[in-house]
Amino acid sequence: MAERACHLPGLNPDALQWETLRFDQAGRDISVQVPVLTTADMGAMAAHVRAHTGQYLAQYPVARVIDIIDRAIARLLDRTDPYRRRMEDLLPAITGYDREMLRLGLTEYLKSFRKPELKRFLAEDFPNPAILDDFQPLPKGGYGRAFGPEVLAHIWAGNVPGLPLWSLVSGLLVKSGTIGKVPSAEPMFATWFAELLAEIEPELADCIAIAWWKGGTEEAETALLSEADVAFAFGGNEALAEIQSRAPITTRFLAYGHKVSFSLIGREALDAAKASATAKLAAYDVARYDQQGCYSPHVIFVEAGGGAAPRQFAQYLAHELAALERKFPRRPLSISEAASIAAWRNAEEISAGADVVGDADGAWSVSFLESADGFGPSGLNRTVRVVAVDDLASVPARAAPYKRLLQTVGIAAAPERLFLLSEALGAAGVTRIAALGDMTAPEAGWHHDGRYNLSDLVRIVEIDGRAQAAADRLAPYAD
Amino acid sequence: MNQDVIVSGLLDFISADGADDAAFNDMALTLFAYQFENNAPFQKFARARGKTPRTVKSWTDIPAVPINAFKTMDLTCTPIAEAEAVFMTSGTTLGSVRGKSYHPVLDVYDASMRRNFRDRFMGGRDRMRMDILFPSPALMPNSSLAHYLNLAAKDFGLHGSGHLVCARGIEFSRLYENLAEAERTGAPYALLGASFSLVHVLDEMARIGHRVQLPPGSRILDTGGFKGQSRELEPDEFYDGLAEAFGVPRSHCINMYGMTELSSQFYDHGNAACPSVKSGPHWLRARVVNPLTGASVPDGETGVLAHTDLAHFNICTTILTEDAGIAVDGGFQLLGRAAGNAAQGCSMAIDEFLKAAGAA
Repeated sequence: MAERACHLPGLNPDALQWETLRFDQAGRDISVQVPVLTTADMGAMAAHVRAHTGQYLAQYPVARVIDIIDRAIARLLDRTDPYRRRMEDLLPAITGYDREMLRLGLTEYLKSFRKPELKRFLAEDFPNPAILDDFQPLPKGGYGRAFGPEVLAHIWAGNVPGLPLWSLVSGLLVKSGTIGKVPSAEPMFATWFAELLAEIEPELADCIAIAWWKGGTEEAETALLSEADVAFAFGGNEALAEIQSRAPITTRFLAYGHKVSFSLIGREALDAAKASATAKLAAYDVARYDQQGCYSPHVIFVEAGGGAAPRQFAQYLAHELAALERKFPRRPLSISEAASIAAWRNAEEISAGADVVGDADGAWSVSFLESADGFGPSGLNRTVRVVAVDDLASVPARAAPYKRLLQTVGIAAAPERLFLLSEALGAAGVTRIAALGDMTAPEAGWHHDGRYNLSDLVRIVEIDGRAQAAADRLAPYAD
Repeated sequence: MNQDVIVSGLLDFISADGADDAAFNDMALTLFAYQFENNAPFQKFARARGKTPRTVKSWTDIPAVPINAFKTMDLTCTPIAEAEAVFMTSGTTLGSVRGKSYHPVLDVYDASMRRNFRDRFMGGRDRMRMDILFPSPALMPNSSLAHYLNLAAKDFGLHGSGHLVCARGIEFSRLYENLAEAERTGAPYALLGASFSLVHVLDEMARIGHRVQLPPGSRILDTGGFKGQSRELEPDEFYDGLAEAFGVPRSHCINMYGMTELSSQFYDHGNAACPSVKSGPHWLRARVVNPLTGASVPDGETGVLAHTDLAHFNICTTILTEDAGIAVDGGFQLLGRAAGNAAQGCSMAIDEFLKAAGAA
């Protein structure tokens, strides 16, 4: 069957050229058609989105936007809904992730975009969300009103299903017109979401565009960036630098680069009653989306002196990863991914001097280092390094040299230490502390990479406090 | 068994007309036992994989040493200090640690090079007028490629053959003189060098609008890829460029695939069509394997190349490369670097981490 990716308001699909992307994982063969857009197409589409957003979406009260998103999410949570069924049917074949892992992951993920969570999302960035609807008093005096960008560009990357939803929802909440570029690795999720929104509120059909071009294609990208008021871009640093070089200085550029995350396990989580449960949570963080997320752990620091020694914990972890492989098998690897794992295993063993255990086909690998500096990247796809430490307090200093690359730390430790460690980790560059097992499921309204998701997007328009007094003097009822 | 016996056995092996499976296997197992006995780090590596001379019965069971291990393991059966030559990887890739191959004597390396080069490059001639687009061994004493190319010029070059890269770079005026001289005499001429140097030459010749028509029988040898030292060209673009600039048909443009971690080289039969099919001499065999299991992949499937080079007697016979390849009739096609892809998601892959950490 052939799906068509993209949602192109203002363009005639029959007048466009289409290319075909093939996906053949999970024993399926799926073709997805994607449009080839010219600079002129992009300009026309941006003008269309800009005009219609001004006419419709920008005029909605924020409560109505929340309501529309909530209705879309409710449909996606309903396993009998046609869109949800397509997601469950096609995403495993497109991404290669295990069907059941995807199904569970989708539900858990979508739950963080329901009405109560969306309100929390807004409250996180705007003490008074009504500032998105009209002028509200500011604490310093005067009045303020937040305007979202007329055109917000999204350049997504990667195959982690649903990832575009974060920025899509962010844009909608501030009433922005959207032009998103889907990655070749997973072009459908954003397309379906746009179509679903258009079904729920037909006016939105003209306020959201979902496009595609081959990553790094200059023409379409430059056209989009020159049309956008604000641009979200995701990807590796090199790709981001290239995208940024195409954005005019007047386009606000919000880059989300690739990140590394890690875990800390305190001795209090390693007594006889807790150790294997702790290992299970740690393994889940590693296995979920096969470590492709910025929040996925690459290294697990384990404190000595608990009921289970660090080496023993590494064995528990290996056991849990083996169990997870039976339950949620890892996606099939390309030869280059397999070669990366082989290279990582060899480097761990030969260069770092680690003990490496793993299943023969490379479904998972755990390397154990008794003593070392310890911080480093994994080979991805369920490969993780366990490092023994005498005291977790020594870890933040080891991570600090990589400040710009850090994101989430999963911690299993008692409350007092949770805060002490968080303080030091935050200073070292980490932006999110999570419970073990929750690393790959950020909560609604989280500050992605330490930034404000919504307030970074808007323009605050102020009425200077003295303007009201000056206006008073001109009132027809002035004395 | 001592080194002298190994070396003389190998010299006989290389000079023979060929070797059947049994002969190749016998020599490979002999060398495995020799290395296992005389190189403690290698023995440890093999034992950790359950491979000993007692359990290994086929050359395909010899554990493949990943090329990364050449950076940290002392792979040698004789003391490092007594090596006649130490060849090192270029170290232009990430990290400054260089992979090393220790050669206690170069007799086998040189015999392997000569026999194979004569068969695969010389086109039936004993000597040709040659120019080398690479520094001499005096400038790069630890470069196996410098040694290889120097040997080519010395043992297969006519009088006047030599190096056209000095400390200041490529000597274009000498190159143009030599090319003009070859055109004048009508005798076949060979230009050999790093692929990226040839790109520099192509770029410079294009800039000044220079072209030559080398005499029939002339040949070009390139090796090593572009390594970020020149523009990256698609193979077809590269060989079209060479054919056009030098008047040497693509069928006479030979690519040599060699590595510091080997003592022998692979060649193709010209690049009329790309990717070309590469193969080695009777003492060098390539397999296409699953890098995680080490098992051969079914024919026609992409895998990672593992090479068994009997001439690499002092170090290890079998290495696991980071090159992707596919087995085809008559050899294999080289498909570029296997590892080092970016993550599929927003997680950081190793290469990217090292790059970003270096810049941080």
